[in-house]
Amino acid sequence: SSPQDQYELYAVEMEKQDDGAMDVKIKKKKTTKAAKKKEKLENMKKEMDVDDHQLSVEDLELKYQTSVSKGLNSTWAGEILLRDGPNELKPPKGTPEYVKFARQLAGGLQCLMWVAAAICLIAFGIQCGQGDLTSADNLYLAIALIAVVVVTGCFGYYQEFKSTNIIASFKNLVPQQATVIRDGDKFQINANQLVVGDLVEIKGGDRVPADIRIITSQGCKVDNSSLTGESEPQTRAPECTHESPLETRNIAFFSTMCLEGTATGIIVNTGDRTIIGRIASLASGVENEKTPIAIEIEHFVDIIAGLAIFFGGTFFVVAMVIGYPFLKAMVFFMAIVVAYVPIRLWAVFQVCLSLTAKRLARKNCVVKNLEAVETLGSTSVICSDKTGTLTQNRMTVSHLWFDNQIHTADTTEDQSGQSFDQSSETWRALCKIVSLCNRAFFKSGQDNVPVPKRIVIGDASETALLKFSEITLGNVMEYRERYKKACEIPFNSTNKFQVTIHELEDPRDPRYLLVMKGAPERILERCATIMIKGQELPLDEQWKEAFQTAYMDLGGLGERVLGFCHLYLDPVQFPRGFSFDSEEMNFPTSGLCFAGLISMIDPPRATVPDAVMKCRTAGIRVIMVTGDHPITAKAIAASVGIISEGSETVEDIASRMRIPVEQVNKWEARACVVNGGQLKDMESEDLVEILKMHPEMVFARTSPQQKLIIVESCQKLGAIVAVTGDGVNDSPALKKADIGVAMGIAGSDAAKNAADMILLDDNFASIVTGVEQGRLIFDNLKKSIAYTLTKNIPELTPYLIYITVSVPLPLGCITILFIELCTDIFPSVSLAYEKAESDIMHLKPRNPRRDRLGDVALAVYSYFQIGAIQSFAGFTDYFTAMAQEGWFPLLCVGLRAQWENDHLQDVQDSYGQEWTFGQRLYQEYTCYTVFFISIEMCQILDVLIRKTRRLSVFQQGFFRNKILVIAIVFQLCLGCFLCYCPGMPNIFNFMPIRFQWWLVPLPFGILIFVYDEIRKLGVRRHPGSWWDKELYY
Amino acid sequence: MLGQCRSCPGTWLRGDLGLLAPVLLAARGPPTSPAAALTMAIEKEKKTCGQLMAEWREFVWNPRTHQFMGRTGTSWALILLFYLVFYGFLTALFTLTMWVMLQTVDPYIPKYQDRLSVPGMMIRPKTDTLDVTFNVSNTETWDDYVKMLNDFLEPYNDSIQVATNDVCRPGRYNEQPDNGVLNYPKRACQFNRTSLGNCSGLSDPSHYGYADGRPCILIKMNRVINFFAGANQTMNVTCAAKKEEDAQKLGEMAMFPPGGHIDLMYFPYYGKKVHVNYTQPIVAVKFLNPEANMDHNVECKINAANIATTDERDKFAGRVAFKIRVNRD
Repeated sequence: SSPQDQYELYAVEMEKQDDGAMDVKIKKKKTTKAAKKKEKLENMKKEMDVDDHQLSVEDLELKYQTSVSKGLNSTWAGEILLRDGPNELKPPKGTPEYVKFARQLAGGLQCLMWVAAAICLIAFGIQCGQGDLTSADNLYLAIALIAVVVVTGCFGYYQEFKSTNIIASFKNLVPQQATVIRDGDKFQINANQLVVGDLVEIKGGDRVPADIRIITSQGCKVDNSSLTGESEPQTRAPECTHESPLETRNIAFFSTMCLEGTATGIIVNTGDRTIIGRIASLASGVENEKTPIAIEIEHFVDIIAGLAIFFGGTFFVVAMVIGYPFLKAMVFFMAIVVAYVPIRLWAVFQVCLSLTAKRLARKNCVVKNLEAVETLGSTSVICSDKTGTLTQNRMTVSHLWFDNQIHTADTTEDQSGQSFDQSSETWRALCKIVSLCNRAFFKSGQDNVPVPKRIVIGDASETALLKFSEITLGNVMEYRERYKKACEIPFNSTNKFQVTIHELEDPRDPRYLLVMKGAPERILERCATIMIKGQELPLDEQWKEAFQTAYMDLGGLGERVLGFCHLYLDPVQFPRGFSFDSEEMNFPTSGLCFAGLISMIDPPRATVPDAVMKCRTAGIRVIMVTGDHPITAKAIAASVGIISEGSETVEDIASRMRIPVEQVNKWEARACVVNGGQLKDMESEDLVEILKMHPEMVFARTSPQQKLIIVESCQKLGAIVAVTGDGVNDSPALKKADIGVAMGIAGSDAAKNAADMILLDDNFASIVTGVEQGRLIFDNLKKSIAYTLTKNIPELTPYLIYITVSVPLPLGCITILFIELCTDIFPSVSLAYEKAESDIMHLKPRNPRRDRLGDVALAVYSYFQIGAIQSFAGFTDYFTAMAQEGWFPLLCVGLRAQWENDHLQDVQDSYGQEWTFGQRLYQEYTCYTVFFISIEMCQILDVLIRKTRRLSVFQQGFFRNKILVIAIVFQLCLGCFLCYCPGMPNIFNFMPIRFQWWLVPLPFGILIFVYDEIRKLGVRRHPGSWWDKELYY
Repeated sequence: MLGQCRSCPGTWLRGDLGLLAPVLLAARGPPTSPAAALTMAIEKEKKTCGQLMAEWREFVWNPRTHQFMGRTGTSWALILLFYLVFYGFLTALFTLTMWVMLQTVDPYIPKYQDRLSVPGMMIRPKTDTLDVTFNVSNTETWDDYVKMLNDFLEPYNDSIQVATNDVCRPGRYNEQPDNGVLNYPKRACQFNRTSLGNCSGLSDPSHYGYADGRPCILIKMNRVINFFAGANQTMNVTCAAKKEEDAQKLGEMAMFPPGGHIDLMYFPYYGKKVHVNYTQPIVAVKFLNPEANMDHNVECKINAANIATTDERDKFAGRVAFKIRVNRD
């Protein structure tokens, strides 16, 4: 709820790099804020005066009672954990619960209801004061109204509470892991279990689990962009380089990313006491902006409420003019308002949206903000991350080159693809190198886990190679044990290779095996021979050329290529027990035998190409925004279909036509790859221009700030933009986007906070599901609204007729409340389960300006056509019930004054019989019930016609929506219960009615159905005609 | 929406009329319609009052497109024609169903009498609140009552009764079954005004007792078609003070016909169309000595085998409660 604020904060911090005075800067910025925050900042500043970075290692050990070699004692760690609490950011303190609840009770509509209830109570009070205790209707009504407000309030509150809960439960679902050393042993534990003083290890790819004072470091670089906005990786080393804790190099901050290298460090701050934690706690309490659907709904409800007040007011005046007492007129007014306001519309929205949210959650999309479901449906541009979203986020061996041939490995997630020929001797040699020259290892105890899913400790390439050899070779760990390692030189950036020397498996063979892997060109330099089909051949120019071609081919695919070679050492020179020295390198590192190349890539997820295709047909543009290399980005974009087959970039055209890039007509190029460097020099107009020019865009090497610019440019083009992101610094882009989608696995908390939706599996295909559901729910909400609105007219007309023609009241307030809050709820919600009418993923995204949720056409059709038919049905049934009990229609007209006079005990009906007031009252209740049943019967037909807006119901299938069928049955049962349950007449004014009165409204019900079918037929047959324009909603 | 532009006096107007747009059937107005303007307002925050008024004016009459309320003349004509046809058809269908329904209803006998199992009771003179209050010495206060009673008893004059109604055998129902052939109109039994004795008001200088503070109240039972009151046993009406302790103050009462007796021959009733001259049996109660200047709550009920008088909800089923007050100077 607070990213906006966070963003501001970061923006300031980015500025700070000019002068370096961070604390002061923040303070300056925040002085404009409330004094409380200023105070907090003062505290923060004070707290920031930590000296941990300036302490010597020994002092540090003393201070935290820890050891830089063995770590904390686990029992002591447990105690500290109890003292300090878990190492996690407390969720930002939101609005207090009671305020949230009160807000639910004090909305615009709710206030109207309160006023209505108050009027009822006053009316009842006055009645009591006059000593008239015959009817407690007003009291009932007041209670019912209050109950409605409170119940819907509770419901809304519950929904809100639940959506917060989803996030909370989700947080526990994917705990961050950290490598910690306690009692001298290495453990992988949940990061939230870490305490101050813990000795932790971080390596490339890890998120720093807390604020850490670095003790040892090997080329460790962190990405502080989330904290400072600097996108350049920053070195972390044990030396203190600056007196400010924020500037010094020996502190790594919580939630920043370790990009490469390894480091160990002592935790100096955990949880909310970390720098990020302090910033986050400052930035809390900022409200989210309203989503389009919320605006839509509010706008709609306002219109309805306005109409209700207008109608009520008109009839209030009419009633006063006719000569009703003020109080009575006031009750009329209120009754009309109650009849008109779709009280539960909001609740229905919430239910429908939460149903979809639930459905999405099952498909790994957690929707934080219910309304975002719909926003997703109107999305027209998706700016997607590459890593993890489009790809599997795991390096996988994709190609091998040996025996002068490129072999393709199986990169599918479930190993369902084709494998290559593994019979060659060369392969065996290569395989041996891959298995042995590898420091990565499986975390123990995962024997039952499928290989691709096993957790590996090691860097990405080594992990890929380990898994690859595990799959092709079998148990690598055991294999390695058979070839005992004698010496090892780990990979480093100067050598760009890695060497290990092993004893052979066969104890009789005294030779040592030297295996090496590294950057292909470096490996080739050190080779004298090449292995082809098991034969060592001299590495001549011809082979070198073959190597170059293969290397270029694989590199062109955007893949990371490694070369492999080996050498059996001379047993004379290096007998068993020879002491190899990795520093001195007292063994040959040239004249080796080249075995092959292996290339790795983070392969696209299997479902992504299909999903991208779906987006395309759905009129959604997918733009890739990644921090990766342009070549890799382009390769992945091409393989998932973001750059479609046959699309060329300007550069492609230039190289194909052999002309300089400048001469190419840029409009011919459908695709375009822009990298961050180019983007930096671009004006925003240029970017918009480029976005317009090339439908297929890939942005590579972009910084998070550039992502924001890209999103803004898309929005300038009028698009509704969905953005995926995971970093803290993505949060501005996520916030800026119409719908921010955070990654559940890779995402940082800040990103998740800023996002409206979280993909639990980080899978792009889930977004497409979301879009589909969003579009569906928009359609279905529209249907639901149409259904809900319709019965406002048959609820309203009885009053109008009652006031103007003076018939006995056909429909009471309480009955209306029952329709509104009891019988019609389930059917209107059941429409949310309706299947899509057509393939909604083949339509263009909705235009938020034009295609509105509650448009005039919908209201007019519901009110003045279907609603009118329902009113006629109700009155037919009403007059039938009256006539059959002795009151002919013409007698009813003008009867009201006599009918309602409770001292008149002998009013004559059409047959000359005389009725007491009590008898008339029960007859009136019978009318209420009859009218109620008429509306219900028509509403059953109404819900059937609302299943579709364009298709015939027969095409859609009557019973395909089981929930709707159940809802209709339920509605009927509820109607029966209300009519025939003993005691109802005196409690809720329902009377047991005769069976045939259920059937009277049926002709009108059938008319509704037939008329709507005719309407739909016309709409389908003559698109664009007058009929279509006037009657399609 | 309304709160957004509270500062602008024209907003309410615009808002309300904008809301009316759907009522006026201005479906799918052009982008200049208030509905669209509202959208814009949401998106672009506030606009000046002048702009709003101009927009509104353009919505009402757009001289460029010749649109009135978002529609051109032809468009209005078409849509109004459509609704004319639509509602015409609906009204026709409604009329048809009502006609069919009325065909199924017998003009002489109601189809159902679900609410009329127990006939109600009523008093005359009928006042607004069943409250008979008068001042003995002030003629004006009871003049109306007397007039009312006179009017009510007019048809009971013996002369009229003899002329139109039969003399029936007392003590049994006056059944006139159709037996296959319609037996219309049915005959009614005489109820002679003279049988009300002191309360008949005939040659009565005391004007039903109102002139001397001993008023008469007439009690009648509601007509219900085909209702056999009393279930073949005699029945009568009795009156008493509502609270027993007040009985003393209410004093003696005289009932006419004697004992408040209602004869079975006045039942059953066959409906006003068939039973044209039906004369409803009445019972008169004369309060002989009610204490002056105080309210007397009186309840009269019928004692009949098939009329329950204990309905808690309907205080007038088989009984009637009223108030009398005789003021004396």
